[in-house]
Amino acid sequence: MKYIYKYAIALFLGIGVLATSCNLDVDPRQSIDANGALDTPDGLEAALNSVYARLRAESNYGRDMFALSDALADVGRTTNNSGRLIGENNNNPGAHFTAGFWQNSYFAINEANLILDQISSGVEGASAAQLSRWEGEAKFLRALYYFDLVKVYAYIPTAVYEPGVTDEGGVPMPLEGSITSDIAFTRNSPRASVNEIYTQVYSDLNDAINLLSSAGRSGPQYATEGAAHGLLSRVALYRGDYQNAVSAATAALGSSAGTVLGGMDYVSGWRAAEHPESMFEVRIQLAAEALGVNVSLQSSFTTLLNLDNKNAQGGWGDFIPGPRVLDFFGLSQVQIDEPGTDSNNWDVTRNDDVRGFLYTTGNTVRNAGRQIESIKFVSKAGFAFGDNIPVLRKSEMHLNRAEANYHLGNVGDALAELNAFKGLRGLEDVNLSGDELLEEILNERFKEFAFEGQRFFDLKRYGRDINKTYLSANNVLPFEDFKVLPAFPQREVDGNPNLNQNRGY
Amino acid sequence: MRKILLLGLAFLIASASAFAQGRVVTGTVTSGEDGLPIPGASVVVKGTTIGTATDLDGNFSLNVPQANNTLVFSFVGSEMQEVNIGNRSQINVILQPDTRSLEEVIVTGYGTQPKREVTGAVSSVKGELIENLPMQSFDRALQGRAAGVQVRSSNGLPGGAVNIRIRGVGSINAGNEPLFIVDGVQLNNQANSSLTQANPLAFLNPNDIESMEILKDAASAAIYGSQAANGVVIITTKKGKAGKARFEFNAFAGETEPMKYLDVLGGSEWYEMRRDALTRGGDGIARARALSNMGRLPSNWQSLSPEELDAVGEALPTYDWQRELMGRGRLQNYEMNVSGGDDKTQFFLSGSYNYQESSFRPVDFERGTFRTSISHKANERLTLETNINLSTVSQNVPFAIDGAFLGNPAFSASAVLPHNPIRNEDGSFNEAIGGVLGQNIALVNEFNSGSTRRNTVVGNAIASYKITDNITYRALFGIDYYFLQEERYTDPRTPDGAGVRGRASAFNDWRSRFINTHTVNWNKTFNGVHNVSALVGYEFVSETRQGLNGQAIGFPTFQFRYIDSGAEPVFVGGFWTGYRRQGAFVNANYNYKEKYLFTATARYDGSSRFGANTQYGLFPSVRAGWNIAMEDFLKDSEIVTDLKVRASWGRTGNDQIGNFAARGLYGAGGNYANSAGIRPTSLANLELGWETNETVNLGLDYGFFSNRVTGSIDLFDRRTKDLLLNQPVLWTNGFGSIANNVGELQNRGIEFEIGTVNIDRGGFQWRTSFNFTYIKNEIVSLFDDLEFIAGAAGQQLAVGQPVGNPPFPGSSAPGAWFQAEYAGVNPATGRPMWLDADGNRTYLPIAADRRYFGSSLAPYYGGLNNTFRFKGFELTAFFTYEYGAVVSDGQYNFLRENGTRLTLNALREVNDRAWVNPGDMTDIPRTYVTAAGNANELRSQGRNFGTASLLKADFIRLAQLTVGYTFSPTLVRNLGLTRARIYAQGLNLWTYSDYPGYDPEFVGAGTGQIPITRNYTVGVQLGF
Repeated sequence: MKYIYKYAIALFLGIGVLATSCNLDVDPRQSIDANGALDTPDGLEAALNSVYARLRAESNYGRDMFALSDALADVGRTTNNSGRLIGENNNNPGAHFTAGFWQNSYFAINEANLILDQISSGVEGASAAQLSRWEGEAKFLRALYYFDLVKVYAYIPTAVYEPGVTDEGGVPMPLEGSITSDIAFTRNSPRASVNEIYTQVYSDLNDAINLLSSAGRSGPQYATEGAAHGLLSRVALYRGDYQNAVSAATAALGSSAGTVLGGMDYVSGWRAAEHPESMFEVRIQLAAEALGVNVSLQSSFTTLLNLDNKNAQGGWGDFIPGPRVLDFFGLSQVQIDEPGTDSNNWDVTRNDDVRGFLYTTGNTVRNAGRQIESIKFVSKAGFAFGDNIPVLRKSEMHLNRAEANYHLGNVGDALAELNAFKGLRGLEDVNLSGDELLEEILNERFKEFAFEGQRFFDLKRYGRDINKTYLSANNVLPFEDFKVLPAFPQREVDGNPNLNQNRGY
Repeated sequence: MRKILLLGLAFLIASASAFAQGRVVTGTVTSGEDGLPIPGASVVVKGTTIGTATDLDGNFSLNVPQANNTLVFSFVGSEMQEVNIGNRSQINVILQPDTRSLEEVIVTGYGTQPKREVTGAVSSVKGELIENLPMQSFDRALQGRAAGVQVRSSNGLPGGAVNIRIRGVGSINAGNEPLFIVDGVQLNNQANSSLTQANPLAFLNPNDIESMEILKDAASAAIYGSQAANGVVIITTKKGKAGKARFEFNAFAGETEPMKYLDVLGGSEWYEMRRDALTRGGDGIARARALSNMGRLPSNWQSLSPEELDAVGEALPTYDWQRELMGRGRLQNYEMNVSGGDDKTQFFLSGSYNYQESSFRPVDFERGTFRTSISHKANERLTLETNINLSTVSQNVPFAIDGAFLGNPAFSASAVLPHNPIRNEDGSFNEAIGGVLGQNIALVNEFNSGSTRRNTVVGNAIASYKITDNITYRALFGIDYYFLQEERYTDPRTPDGAGVRGRASAFNDWRSRFINTHTVNWNKTFNGVHNVSALVGYEFVSETRQGLNGQAIGFPTFQFRYIDSGAEPVFVGGFWTGYRRQGAFVNANYNYKEKYLFTATARYDGSSRFGANTQYGLFPSVRAGWNIAMEDFLKDSEIVTDLKVRASWGRTGNDQIGNFAARGLYGAGGNYANSAGIRPTSLANLELGWETNETVNLGLDYGFFSNRVTGSIDLFDRRTKDLLLNQPVLWTNGFGSIANNVGELQNRGIEFEIGTVNIDRGGFQWRTSFNFTYIKNEIVSLFDDLEFIAGAAGQQLAVGQPVGNPPFPGSSAPGAWFQAEYAGVNPATGRPMWLDADGNRTYLPIAADRRYFGSSLAPYYGGLNNTFRFKGFELTAFFTYEYGAVVSDGQYNFLRENGTRLTLNALREVNDRAWVNPGDMTDIPRTYVTAAGNANELRSQGRNFGTASLLKADFIRLAQLTVGYTFSPTLVRNLGLTRARIYAQGLNLWTYSDYPGYDPEFVGAGTGQIPITRNYTVGVQLGF
């Protein structure tokens, strides 16, 4: 009897152990193994979406490429409604493009590199046209990210400050994807020179132009041949390669990407969900992708929720036009009806420049009271805080070409193009030459792209001081000041023996 | 309890002795311990079977035969006493407690052990010590109770997270949570709440706990192998006892209140402060702008003189937003339990209800529990047992657990500008709030709603079978299951909800964990001196968790608050995750005459979380002890009652990392233009394996003067090797980090516990217990000869420096503070200064100027408990203390800006200290802001930069003060009761600290966290 018990128990124990000790394999259900993840057309397509989507981040085009960079420049001033952008507006130490910009951009570049690596080793079941399109789009995106990184973290070739200091160069430029711990641990990319980066950006954009000319898809939310020409035109202008800037601008203008608008059509272009001028824009498709009330472009620039009812509480309106912008368009507050407590009864005065319609008065919900605000981004996609972001507008091609022609000595072409452009905006022709003509072209660029993040880099590529005496006395950021460049994220400098920090940090 | 137990028996003996002849002797038996009468003590005539038992008042009356002259008095747990009667007919006896026979039994890994034989570092906290504390979870109640166990409330959320660290912080990224085991079921204490902190350990009514054992050294814990690196807390719940059904009713109720309101500026003071700041910033219209910042600029301001503008500012009123939003809360607790049974079957049933409000309405905690414990002896060999704990917890959630959100009352209450009225004259909410906090927080708080409900089942079924008299097989099947439902509604009447016409979110989260343990136990004594026992076992744990959540916007009216009424879905989400673990273990004990004690254990454990090549790990341990007090030369010593030295070494493992951290994965992310995106989410590390903890422990247990002085001392060196470190990867390489086994962390320390009976005379007793812990935490090495890894803002993980305290379960340890040292204010200019690398003062410190300034982990902590008893009265005063933590308190930092950077309110003590005139020596810079709102002095860092914002978080706190009275049993017997006790209790009544923020006891960023509260309760306990 005793033995039977023993056996029974032993059996019980044995079954208990066997039944449960099969294995320890547990597989995730929301992720797939990195190995082979991109080796299907659907997988590769999805991975490419992520590279686009990273442009949407606050640190990139979601806010900083536009709002933060304009705050650094002399476009406007802060309201202190939420306290955001004040430090940047005053060029305080450390208040500049963030570590998140670096991180997000390099993550995107790595994803693009992994896609390009996969394409070069083949994608099972993919057609040649698919391969071309993917490669073209990935190269366009990689070029855009590198161009943004180098223009932020390094001096622009047309104006390098370096008396007494060694040229720290550009930014690290890995071109091979990192998906194994080997590369992740050991690759300490040094700063490539600024020239090397521009050369690489040229090469990627030219590849993109070739590949997308036949295989591209349409739509400003995706990279196209026209968008690649457009971006190349801007890159060449920054590089001081004016011949290429002209030819690329011409090719871009000849492409099917975007339309140059004039008169009130231009103003209504800003009310469309998809800007007709866009050669490439960052798409915010869903309310869930919007950056929300704190950091979206809409919220950064205006307190309005939409243009139907100015009283509705919208964003913070943290960053508003400064005196130069107000002056460009003759903007001042005016009450148009009674009672004055209703924000719908307020607007602004405007001059002949149709761009004045991109500004109006906000509401009094926030601390700073009613202010004149930019309404380039104001719920035009149909939901709040989620406007699509035009990275490249076709109008820029005229201004790029005019400026490049000026530097090439084709002053007549430059003036003619400027005047034609002014006509589109409701302005009289001018008759200028020499420095005055260049100033007028740059002013036109300022007017056209205020609140679109170009001004800071326009000042930087001409090596100009940033004059903000309208904020406080002596508030001038000399071009020589180290705060023109942001710090590299300290962790990257600490962790990479080959990486030198920017001057002053 | 034991007194009541013997009552029945006593009556039996009494009736049996009624027939004897002789003289009658009467008297009273009282306890030398507390001076109270002992009911049920046995009184026997020596050498006969004649005897009786004392009644409820300790009285006896016995017919003693003439031939006998000696009575023997005895009672369980007391020393037997013989008394010669002589001619007396009245005899009063005081029985002293028998310290040697009162053998304390300690629950250890997969078994129990007499305390005498314990050779590891184990602290035991009895349930009665934490009885009736108005705390929602037992982990909170451990604060200050045991050396080596550091407990901090994360914040004042009732039922919120509790930070518990056994012997320091042993891991940087892989979790520092001890293993909690309730009735053999290993719990997962991750809260997973999206909206609040819902401490999973709050499922258990702390009053259902019989005892808690804390296995501190690796050798004691190693039998739990892979889970035990951060120590083990074993909770034993109350079980049934044979006998007539006994009922206990227990109730307390009271209030919570804020410990502190911050002293902030009033309306006119803030105006003056702002006006002066703007003036210093060079603003030509400082008065007007100050008024404008406050939303109080008269429309005709340009025609007003400075004096007239000042008059407007000076006339601004002050409203106390803190007292509007913070306040007293109710708390109450009711419970009832019944236990009983016969010699074959015992049961324990209990039910309880607990409710507590925080100092910020409507945040609260409501719990109902039901517990049943049944054991049944099926036959001589087979015993069946089951313990089931059911509980449901509801919490009204805060706007946010922490953070500088406008809508967060815990942030805004002290920061909103004080001149803003809370309500309009007609009683409606004032919605025109001046200042950066432009929302009426009272309105937001009133209209928004959110709740969390957690239903938990923790239970087991156990069968144990005696194969032979000394071999027992035991099988345990356990479950830890929870279902978490959460919802939140952002009301369209609030500013955040207005733009989207209301926003509703819902989250559901299921987690089930199964555990299956089989053990076989054997013991034998050879030649009466060699005691040998052994245990072998196998255990399997599997856990899965999945969730489903969604959000919608666009609600018809504010009355529609459920997600399906929303016009537009914003997102739907879901997830699944899981892991498995299995292990085999063995434990062998040998002792010689209970003098020389040896234990060895080993466990072989595998976890699905690790790389395919490194899934399994071996965790051995050895312990030895010498019971010196059992040696002949001390056996009869009056002075030395207990003396034992012990030494142990053990290795334990830690796998508290992500379930798939070893895998290289692509996950969903980066959807674009209506099509799905994927991106790489982690780098593969096939070699990822166990983080191991090795602890050497040397200990001494002592008891002197008949154990009037008892305690222990432990020295330990705990080294964590192969740290599961999120080794940083250069962002340029596409990832932030990779989990890797690198580096070493060390916790060295000393623990000291002492308990004394200071006075025990005439029924008056004063007992003290004190514990002290010192731990030196230090990173020994990182990787690749690296000296440091940059951590969160201002912190760094560096070799030779301590790490900080990881705030929440699952969060990583922050580094030591690594910042430029603040050098106070330049007396000439009022500008803040820092020290550069050479020790010179500078306005613009750079990265190279940073130095180390300690961490948020307190190296010194402990507790002091005093109890006084006299007759039925008792008084308990329990203190806890911490010393040496350096923290940054986000809430204080915002207020320390003194209304410069943002238009937030300021602390009076900060504003009063601010530099005003040349020559002022102070640490607070001049209040300065430009017209554009820039609060940085030109070419200068911000005023909170560097160590300017670091605070010492030292404190001594009267954590508990209880006054109670137990009615004499005679008195309450007439009411049909066996026991009646009333008490009044206060928690956190007094704190010694010079901390300028709400409270030094918090973890995390400190911004907008609900501070912990002071509680008052009165209660009653009845037994019948």
